[in-house]
Amino acid sequence: MIPFEITYHRPRSIEEAVHLFDTLQQQGKKPLYYGGGTEIITLSRLHLVAADAVIDIKHIPECRTLEFNPHELVLGSALPLTTLEEANPFPLLTKAAREVADRTARNQITLGGNICGQIFYRETVLPLLLSDSQAVIAGKDGVKQCSIHDVFLQHIRLKPGQFLVQMKVDRSYASLPHFHRKRRKQGKVGYPLVTAAAIKKDGQIRVALSGVCPFPFRSKEMEERLNARHLPLHDRIEGAIRALPRPILDDIEGSAAYRLFVLKQMLFDMIDELGGE
Amino acid sequence: MAIGKSVIRKDAWDKVTGRAKYTNDFKEKGMLHAKLVTSPYAHARIRAIDIEKARSLPGVRAIITGEGLPLTGEDLRDRPPIAFDKVRYHGEVVALVVADTLVHAEKAANLVHVVYEPLPAVGKPSEALKEGAPLIHEQLGSYQKNEHTYPEPNTNIAHRTKIRKGNIEQGWAESDVVVETSVAFSPSDHVAIETRCATAEILPDGHIIISASSQSPFMIKRLISTYFGEDVGNIIVHTPLVGGAYGGKAPVQLELLAYLASKAVGGRKVSVWNAREEDMITSPVHIGLEATVKLGATKDGYIKAAEILFLFDGGAYSDKAIDVSRAAAVDCTGPYHIENVWCDSLCVYTNHPYATPFRGFGHSEQAFAIERAMDLLAEKLGMDKWELRRKNAIRPGHTTPTQVVLNRSNVGDLPACLDRLRELMEWDEWQRIEIDAYTVRAKGISCAWKTSTIDPDASSGVLLTFNPDGSVNVISGVVEIGTGTKTILAQIVAEKLKMDVNDVYVKMDIDTQTTPEHWKTVGSRGTFMAGRAALEAADDAIRQLKAIASCVLRASVEDLEVGYGKVFLRDDPSIYVPVKDIAYGYKYPNGNAIGGQIIGRGNYILRHLTPLNKETGAGKPGPEWTVGAEGVEIEFNRRDYTYKILKAFAVIDIGKVLNPKAALGQAMGAMSMGLSFASRETFLFDRYERVLNPQLRTYRPIRFGEHPEYIVEFIETPQIDAPYGARGAGEHGLIGMPAALANALSLAAEVPLNELPLIPELIWRKKKGDSHDSI
Repeated sequence: MIPFEITYHRPRSIEEAVHLFDTLQQQGKKPLYYGGGTEIITLSRLHLVAADAVIDIKHIPECRTLEFNPHELVLGSALPLTTLEEANPFPLLTKAAREVADRTARNQITLGGNICGQIFYRETVLPLLLSDSQAVIAGKDGVKQCSIHDVFLQHIRLKPGQFLVQMKVDRSYASLPHFHRKRRKQGKVGYPLVTAAAIKKDGQIRVALSGVCPFPFRSKEMEERLNARHLPLHDRIEGAIRALPRPILDDIEGSAAYRLFVLKQMLFDMIDELGGE
Repeated sequence: MAIGKSVIRKDAWDKVTGRAKYTNDFKEKGMLHAKLVTSPYAHARIRAIDIEKARSLPGVRAIITGEGLPLTGEDLRDRPPIAFDKVRYHGEVVALVVADTLVHAEKAANLVHVVYEPLPAVGKPSEALKEGAPLIHEQLGSYQKNEHTYPEPNTNIAHRTKIRKGNIEQGWAESDVVVETSVAFSPSDHVAIETRCATAEILPDGHIIISASSQSPFMIKRLISTYFGEDVGNIIVHTPLVGGAYGGKAPVQLELLAYLASKAVGGRKVSVWNAREEDMITSPVHIGLEATVKLGATKDGYIKAAEILFLFDGGAYSDKAIDVSRAAAVDCTGPYHIENVWCDSLCVYTNHPYATPFRGFGHSEQAFAIERAMDLLAEKLGMDKWELRRKNAIRPGHTTPTQVVLNRSNVGDLPACLDRLRELMEWDEWQRIEIDAYTVRAKGISCAWKTSTIDPDASSGVLLTFNPDGSVNVISGVVEIGTGTKTILAQIVAEKLKMDVNDVYVKMDIDTQTTPEHWKTVGSRGTFMAGRAALEAADDAIRQLKAIASCVLRASVEDLEVGYGKVFLRDDPSIYVPVKDIAYGYKYPNGNAIGGQIIGRGNYILRHLTPLNKETGAGKPGPEWTVGAEGVEIEFNRRDYTYKILKAFAVIDIGKVLNPKAALGQAMGAMSMGLSFASRETFLFDRYERVLNPQLRTYRPIRFGEHPEYIVEFIETPQIDAPYGARGAGEHGLIGMPAALANALSLAAEVPLNELPLIPELIWRKKKGDSHDSI
């Protein structure tokens, strides 16, 4: 049960959504943009989320777009993860999405919700970081497009009233050699100890991680170490581990030391599979 | 006719179509809702509770706090229904808000302001026993208790069961080889799909109407009467279908709160329904354990001595945990013949959520300790692990730890189970093989046994009534908790009356005013006790049918037989009277009538059970044992320490298979729970003993698709005094799973794994402890 009163709003256009947000805010209310709602339900029952209104963006056509242009994939932020999995426009993204929660939850969880959520794993952002994707963002000042690296640093950096409309990915990324692996404490469903996603572009490995730190990230420093082919493989991986951001998670899913153990093996496997020797 | 067939469960259609109703599905206009205010601390003094702000919210009818309430508990009355003065576990109820809707109640509950003064908390039982450990119950010595509960005042020991059999010194003297091992695991949950729920209403005429998702509707009635001085006849408890229980719904908790809530609002109907988080930690949990086992054996592998210490983590209140710790002591050696046994089994207070039975009632817990020690002993002896178990397997003529002499009827045939397991698992082919550089396959086995240590005067009653077409209604106090027992009762009655099982109807829900009592639906006792009562009721109906038919057919009762919807002459079945013509009395052509409505009546009370001797444990705890041999086959990755459970095996002597598919379902379901408990389920605590994962996001039981292949077979050594020879079978598949998995993984990883759950990080940590092993 959501233990507070909320009003539900269903705008049909971007403008209407932005306007609603603004109006509600001016009325002194706290609105939230709402995609699948799984996190709002999960966290509000723990009193970790509060709102007076939810603005459901699932009925805004732009947010439901799934387009394969000649050069670009356009992925609406309100697409459920299972829709993305079935359409499979970006195999690495499909792999990342398929490992989130369980099938029933993924029918609800949206791409935008997974990227913008509070629960800090946000695993579908990993392929989007690796592919230097573009984010389409709506706000009071209209709709703008920018690099994901400008709006996603550990978590999404949106101004009040802004929401994520689409992600755009250069289609050439969809066919690059890639690697995806998720390890959990146990079993096939649950949060990651470590999720590693990687692609190989122009002979260089790019890597993004979730579960290692309390945020997902792509680290240029790690990539540099991993791609330093003049060094022995072991040193490259040790170097990459040393270049990790901090803190390393140490929680109920697993200890920091164990996470690093798992990560190290994954990096070996990644280089092995992607041929980065 | 009906016995031995896979009759589809009577509750199946309603369940598979989603129409089956559970306690919280019965909503009523005007019903009020209660929300619990629970403690964020595991151990704290309650300095003040401010309810003013909450009370002033619209829709709030009452806020109840703990002062002035009687202490509760089945063996030892140590638990206030609502915490008073101090809280002893994270999640404990400190106040109850009653309001018009659940939303109103929850809003108000958030405004109840409690001032706590945190106290040092203790988690592990071994820590709780140390000198200077925080005392959880300062008044332990003054609590009311029953005759056979032995709390130790000024300690955290709620109860101690002692087993002293034979001469332990002599046992050690006869032993060439001695092993000792310790195991441990924390409390966990039952995770029934249906969270616990109770409603209560007090009518102007004094009737107290309770509805509860419970295994113990008749106990609710008794306890409310005992605790609150209500006339027991005024208390009526309803229990519809229950959505999974596994022991978690045996204790009485929310029912007391619902009663108090209704009383506070002038008797109006109030519902108390657990959210999942509350169901996981506020309501009682699966017990934790620390155990040490020392075994001594001769060179040729005969076990001569066993010294066992069980420290059960009973949590903040002893309630049913005392019984669990006693049950583990009763069968402490596992199903092995050991003449010299010393065991202390302690129910220890900690600041964890309080414990209650979990399917298997202390036996999977006990078996984990013993069966790890058995593997260790086999290794030290250089003996095959199956061989060691086979050699020491308990048999007729042997005695149990509480000195019950066993015979074929009360213990069945463990050697036969072991022999079949050996074949099914192809044990002799290999026990550990390396498939490639990293992949290892390994097998692990465990034996299992269990008797049901329920109250020695527990009884069960069954009524049979007839419908005008001659079909039969079975009315029994067994709660349909998902085990299909009511269908089994229909089969038993159909067999006895020689009729089609489709013509036997069962009353699914319980109403304690009209349903004959079945003590509690626990301990795999439904089929045995209610089955015996059903047979007696059927005999009673047969006797009455024959008496009327004897007049109608002008034949002696001895010449008559009942079956196929008729009462007929044994030597000439063409002479008969249909049951439908006499079930409501027989009317002669001239209008005269004889007989009248037939009501079959049967009951069963357990026989010859005794409490355990305080000093030696000697006594008869249960009527029969079900024995079994189980195993798992796993594939382990030596590089990353992950593993897959490929196959799980069980061979259980259940006496007689009454319903093959139902028996298989019980065994497989139990095995799945055992593997889930063993491989992933545990509560995680912070250093203040607060539960860190009281949600299914972070407490993750086994999922569909993560299951191994289950291979289940049954041995049939009849229990002579049981219905058609059937032994208890609801729990036994679970018992050996944790130990078998730990044994297989220990063999695969080449490191002793004595903790649960068996997650890859644990194996990594243990391997790392070896130091010379690196990634």
